[in-house]
Amino acid sequence: MEAIPSLIRSIDANEVVGFDDDLMKQNVLDLQFTDGDKIEPESEPEPETSNDGLRHHRTPSISVSMPQSPAEVPQSARRVAFRDDVELVEKNGPPTVSATKFYSQPIPTGVGFEEALAAGKFPSRPVKNSKVEKLKDQRYNSFKTWSGKLERQLTTLRGKPAGEKPVITPRSENLPVDRYFDALEGPELETLRPSEELILPEDKKWPFLLRFPISSFGICLGVSSQAIMWKNLSSTPSTHFLHISPKINLILWCIAVALFAVVASSYILKLIFYFEAVRREYYHPIRVNFFFAPWVSLLFLAIGLPPTVSTHIPHVLWYIFMTPIFIMDVKIYGQWKSGGQRRLSKVANPVNHLSIVGNFVGALLGASMGLKEGPIFFFAVGIAHYTVLFVTLYQRLPTNETLPKELHPVFFLFIAVPSVASLAWANINGSFDCGSRIAYFLAMFLYFSLAVRVNFFRGFTFSLAWWAYTFPMTGAAIATIRYSNEVSNTFTKILTVTLSVIATLTVFGLLVTTILRAFVMRDLFPNDIAIAISDRKPTTVRKWFHRRTGSSENDIEHYLKYVTSNEKDVEVDMNVKETDVESQRPLT
Amino acid sequence: MTTNIKQPPPSPPPSQIELTFTSTAIHSNTHENTLILIKDLCFLILSRCHAGYFRITLSLCCQTLLWKTLKDPPENPHTYRKILALFPSTAFLLLWSLSLLILASLSVLYILRCALFTNMVKTEYLNNIGVNYLFAPWISWLLLLQTAPFLTPKTYYYFYLWWVFVVPIFVLDVKIYGQWFTKGKRILSKVANPASQLSVVGNFVGARAAAQMGWKESAMVLFTLGMVHYMVVFVTLYQRLSGNTCLPTMLRPVMFLFIAAPSMASLAWDSISGTFDLLSKMLFYLSLFLFLSLVTRPNLFKNSMKKFNVVWWAYSYPLTVLALASTEYAQDTRSSFAHLLMLLLSALSVMVSVVLMIYTALNTDILLPPDDAGDPTIATLAINISS
Repeated sequence: MEAIPSLIRSIDANEVVGFDDDLMKQNVLDLQFTDGDKIEPESEPEPETSNDGLRHHRTPSISVSMPQSPAEVPQSARRVAFRDDVELVEKNGPPTVSATKFYSQPIPTGVGFEEALAAGKFPSRPVKNSKVEKLKDQRYNSFKTWSGKLERQLTTLRGKPAGEKPVITPRSENLPVDRYFDALEGPELETLRPSEELILPEDKKWPFLLRFPISSFGICLGVSSQAIMWKNLSSTPSTHFLHISPKINLILWCIAVALFAVVASSYILKLIFYFEAVRREYYHPIRVNFFFAPWVSLLFLAIGLPPTVSTHIPHVLWYIFMTPIFIMDVKIYGQWKSGGQRRLSKVANPVNHLSIVGNFVGALLGASMGLKEGPIFFFAVGIAHYTVLFVTLYQRLPTNETLPKELHPVFFLFIAVPSVASLAWANINGSFDCGSRIAYFLAMFLYFSLAVRVNFFRGFTFSLAWWAYTFPMTGAAIATIRYSNEVSNTFTKILTVTLSVIATLTVFGLLVTTILRAFVMRDLFPNDIAIAISDRKPTTVRKWFHRRTGSSENDIEHYLKYVTSNEKDVEVDMNVKETDVESQRPLT
Repeated sequence: MTTNIKQPPPSPPPSQIELTFTSTAIHSNTHENTLILIKDLCFLILSRCHAGYFRITLSLCCQTLLWKTLKDPPENPHTYRKILALFPSTAFLLLWSLSLLILASLSVLYILRCALFTNMVKTEYLNNIGVNYLFAPWISWLLLLQTAPFLTPKTYYYFYLWWVFVVPIFVLDVKIYGQWFTKGKRILSKVANPASQLSVVGNFVGARAAAQMGWKESAMVLFTLGMVHYMVVFVTLYQRLSGNTCLPTMLRPVMFLFIAAPSMASLAWDSISGTFDLLSKMLFYLSLFLFLSLVTRPNLFKNSMKKFNVVWWAYSYPLTVLALASTEYAQDTRSSFAHLLMLLLSALSVMVSVVLMIYTALNTDILLPPDDAGDPTIATLAINISS
């Protein structure tokens, strides 16, 4: 028994090339201080045969996640986030080791080490804290526009001394959609799979702007559609028996405008300061549809314009609102048709309805403004692509990776398009004729088939995107109001009242939940995991080491074999990295 | 049977020809020599002239139809339309004669090919992309019929010729559409590709010709057939179930067929209902949208533009059909914007066609390449020659 610990110690003392040389030793010592960051103790330079050994060597352990294979070496360009931090912080530390470090997934280990080396000695605890704080700032640099250059320029403008020299980070390649599917799960692709890692720290609260998703525009959609509903309730002849005052519409409309202004300005700030995050949201297969939401909200605001504010909207405004929708149509539908990895059979999900409903809302607004050809154009485009999407979603193709297996509020988006289409067609034709009725009845059918399954809508975590799922209910209520205007009898009136009440209650419930989350629980904007997924899958090495809790000889031998084989990889990586980093210097 | 597989080019025909030459009896008679040379030349042309070459005739006949439409302005035309009245009618007659000539010669060649190389034609039929081009000759003849300067739609000749051209289309419809949903190996989700829209276009062309004759019911039959299958094909193509593998890079220009189908449908409905009503407008707008979405993606077509190929003619006729639909649209809406759009699209289609004609005329030597990547029979070509 005594022999084993001494053997272990002797191994520790003897330098194993590539593992126990001086650099690694310094790693080891420094890592004691970076306790706030993730350390994987599983990859250790010496074997363990007993728990004693484990405990004894836990602190000096270093985290050296081996690269999966030598083939990973050329992909050095992907390590954007890490590279940025290295070059910011490193002064005269040997780049090789830092480079090696950055094959491991979590950043902080290596960066902490770099800091230590740069400082020339191992930092004491209080110093570490402030340095770690500064690290965190720089950790988000990969997401900042121009890698934080803009921020630095703003700070210099404000008169504060400039920080480190500006660094041009190589832009990360476009994340393929497969990466999102592999790393995330859930009906909105928001939850991280257990095997995945993030490139931003998981345990800290990120800057507010980074946590502000585009799905926040769902709030604007929800509230502005409510304003339209109350406007219709007060102005349609068939609902006059309810004696709704037009003031409700005015109040709701003003709230909607204010909300839109706040959300839009926040997102514009995010666009300016964290462009990389916005890019990643754009490449997310579900979030991309929310990029239509701002424009649809503007259209809703125009439709719900209270008569007291203005009765006339200039035609040019319609063209201005519809241009971004048109451009996004061309881009997204073209991707469906000819994009290899973003084709519809793979990425179809109910949130795609948001991409289509914009066409119909624009047609509705244009027709109510008196335009003729433009609304028909958007209606035609919308209906053609709606047919495609509808069929695809109904098919639930086996190649489809994003459809939620259980019911989720996202399914309410099915109701949105037929309701709005029926209203748009009624406005284009002048009367609520056969085409409108067909679309309206389809919407009603879908509503009821979801309503009777309301028991299955349980047990989901709240997210801001739920606001976007309220506007279909409101849309169905508005269509019912219009229908009851044409076919005026008791049943339709009851239906109108019921649907309006349901819509209002849903919005109210969501409002309460939102306020609770915002002010009481303070997690209305959790860390936006979906945009911080790493570029590549984490190594499978970690899994092996986790399982190595036993202490059999086979394990040790296997471990040794594995370790020695990767030793060469590490060396190769180091050499390659050296040249990479050095060749990159003239560029930066 | 795919066209993706690039077979190694077969050994050059001249050496093969020599083989047959030496295997026959040695005759120093020059008469015999010329006969053999002619036979081998025919062999060469017929073996390579697959149905895809009817793209040329499709484009030319479509252009003729466009020139005819533009040449004859309707009653009380818009000012912009009057400009086009300056169009010389001799140019139209020239084009019509050219189209007739090329179409007639190609048809004869193809009949000979069917007679002499039946197995090649069979291979084309079994190929997913090639089968749709079996519609192309009939469509071209129908279009030419509509543009005939001496045949009005009310004559018996028109009527009989219509039957002659529409029956094969109908037979092919029954065969191919039936295969889509019944046959195990040839189901739509596997065989769908942008060229499948050509069969749909065929139905719409037949419907329009029928409507012009006054036969509303047959026109409706063909229109319904086309419309229903168009919806199915459209959805399937948009889903892209089989990913990128259905169309080889060389055949990317065929994607312009996305534009042709709704435009032709719009024209057909316009003839059937008498006015350019809401459905026609919506189909026209859809076609316009698809045109814009293709035109803003030049990278899709970059690889296929490297070497001249008869597939380039696939750019021309969808644009022409779109221009035709826009003339009807402009006539109905009577707004300046619509007429400007019409002028723009017509100019574009004329320019593309003229450029293609000149380019083809200059490059006739590579018009029948031995290793045509777009040839559906390329797999058997080597086998045929070597056997």
